[in-house]
Amino acid sequence: MFANRILFYRTDLFIEETDEEAGEGEMELRIAPKMSVMDKLKILGDAAKYDVSCSSSGSFRRNDGQGIGNTVAAGLCHSFAADGRCISLLKILFTNECIYDCRYCINRCSNDVPRASFTPDEVCELTMEFYRRNYIEGLFLSSGILYSPNYTMELICETVHRLRTVHRFQGYIHVKAIPGADPMLIQRAGYLVDRMSVNLEMATAEGLRAIAPNKHRKNILKPMRQIQNSITENKNELTLYRHAPHFCEAGQSTQMVIGALPESDYQIMSVAENLYNKFSLKRVYYSAFVNVNEDRDLPAPAGGPPLLREHRLYQADWLLRFYGFKVDELLTEQRPNFNTAIDPKADWAVRHLEQFPVEINRADYYMLLRVPGVGVKSAGRIVAARRFGNLTFADLKKIGVVLKRALYFITCNGKMMYPTKLEENYIVQNLVYQNRMGRGEKLPFLADGTSYRQMSLFDDCHFEKNWKAVGD
Amino acid sequence: MEEKYIICEDSLEGIFTGIYEAYALREGHAHVHLQIGEEDNLRLFAVYLPVSSDPVKTEKVVQTLRSRLGEHVYHTLCRAAASCYPDKGEAVYKTVVDALTAGSGRRVMENLKNPYVARCFELARFTANEAHYEIEFIRFQELAAREGEENTVLFSKIGPKNNVVPFVMPHFADRLSIENFMVYDENRKLFGVHPAREEWYLVAAGEEFALKDLDLSQKEEKYQELFRTFHRTIGIKSRENKKLQRQMCAYRYQDYMMEFAQK
Repeated sequence: MFANRILFYRTDLFIEETDEEAGEGEMELRIAPKMSVMDKLKILGDAAKYDVSCSSSGSFRRNDGQGIGNTVAAGLCHSFAADGRCISLLKILFTNECIYDCRYCINRCSNDVPRASFTPDEVCELTMEFYRRNYIEGLFLSSGILYSPNYTMELICETVHRLRTVHRFQGYIHVKAIPGADPMLIQRAGYLVDRMSVNLEMATAEGLRAIAPNKHRKNILKPMRQIQNSITENKNELTLYRHAPHFCEAGQSTQMVIGALPESDYQIMSVAENLYNKFSLKRVYYSAFVNVNEDRDLPAPAGGPPLLREHRLYQADWLLRFYGFKVDELLTEQRPNFNTAIDPKADWAVRHLEQFPVEINRADYYMLLRVPGVGVKSAGRIVAARRFGNLTFADLKKIGVVLKRALYFITCNGKMMYPTKLEENYIVQNLVYQNRMGRGEKLPFLADGTSYRQMSLFDDCHFEKNWKAVGD
Repeated sequence: MEEKYIICEDSLEGIFTGIYEAYALREGHAHVHLQIGEEDNLRLFAVYLPVSSDPVKTEKVVQTLRSRLGEHVYHTLCRAAASCYPDKGEAVYKTVVDALTAGSGRRVMENLKNPYVARCFELARFTANEAHYEIEFIRFQELAAREGEENTVLFSKIGPKNNVVPFVMPHFADRLSIENFMVYDENRKLFGVHPAREEWYLVAAGEEFALKDLDLSQKEEKYQELFRTFHRTIGIKSRENKKLQRQMCAYRYQDYMMEFAQK
């Protein structure tokens, strides 16, 4: 029976547009009982939203005049959802049917949620029509595990292949490599897409075992290594043959869930650093844990998901990738978590005051990068602008340095901006005070770590008690 | 020494012609200024020299800028000249002076100590950022094909502060090379038009032009509704953050985006 179903679905899939009523009917019975594209999009968009990655950067390709689409190296965000996250790609699952039972996942097989599956043609049509209206930058296709990893990967490959060849789509495509799928399938997908990703899910192997009984660390790292090797080979090929096909031009990424298990920031960041150095990943994403299943063994933080912690991890991630920091400089075994009150870079700076103040007109680029309030762009501009003459604080402001953070750590022509003490407690107090007054660091949510919330009539604000008081 | 104000039109040609005339005066640049449009409050000890745009002079300036300062600086100056701020003429002019006469040359945009260069840099950045946002946030609508024709046309209306249409068009001309599309700048009554598989061009519609109601294609409503649904479902409830949403996509862009329209 099982094999039969697969056969039916495959017939429908791989033989072009046959009008066999019986075949289609059978398929719909199993996969999607009379469901409109709208309903499917509702279910499968909803199911995909916990995947963080939505970037469309890292790949540059011009249109060849034969089809629609190109890619932009910097990536483009086409809209922003109510949670403030960007919508760059049409992020959907191919199907939310899944044979696995991962405890953090809304689509685990033991959950009673509405299930749906797209057909490859539906995915292609949605992508093309959204793309030409400039709603999206491309497709992000993930999937629950339908029947087996191989079967699922084959479906993904088929969809992407159709999009690239039949519809001649030249925009951005990001697909998941399904752990446990045949390396040949992953290879095939890699030549069709811009980015592939395998989710690491948990920072530690023990954590993964506890939370996702069907997934194994080894199975996740294997495709990751394969993709890495293929990208390296492809780069060598491309230096020899300019027109060789690209393999995952935009590299690979992964994602870790934060706050489901008691892992320290130090553990998480060390894993991220290893992934960058040893697996040459383009991005590691961190996803604040949302207890969607209300699983009683998993934490359900009262203030909502740990957004502030996630934010600090991303800041540290940027420090690793663009600022030349090492994890061991930011955190240690004895101090395994980030200070949530100030950002990781300022935190590092106040603990290394022996290296400050930095003279803006002399310090080298890498030291400038380490000054809080100076970013990659402003450091570059400082180095370029000081060829033409000594810079003053007014110039720095125009260049884009955040002086209210930087002023404790820099001198211009030997002078500080205001007389300040070069003392850890003094600086920390000032930075924290600024943050608390809302004049300091711009956090994407309220400073206590909870997200912005609009008060509604139905919030419990003890109205009842007050009414009673009025009544009395 | 009396101050001289060259008065030019608010356009790229106007500014470049103005720069040409400023150099043609041969009086140094300390007391010569470039101003866009007439000033209401005239100065007592100043000479005003109106110039009208001249394609030949513009072309000469363009050639000089491109060959001596490079494409990067040239494009930055063009972006600054497309800004909505009236001091752009002076900023662009004095930046060119800093590059050609004071000798910073191809590195002129790095000389941020010079207040005019810094201003020019700022204006160019604003235009570039806005063009980038429009590239992201433009929403095309498919218009109904005329009777007997099969060609569809994609249409989009925007309301940018700076004149970004010329910077937005090349992106879409590459991306949607096989489509007919139009981008309409409501504030300047300016069309960017791209016929399928051909070069794009600009059309100024004139002051009196008013856009008629659009006749949308049959499928259009369906895909708008689909994307609205997607836009709603993809947000995570427990992370809701309207402030962040507004920060990333300002209301002035949201006004033109169909997924934010109140239905």
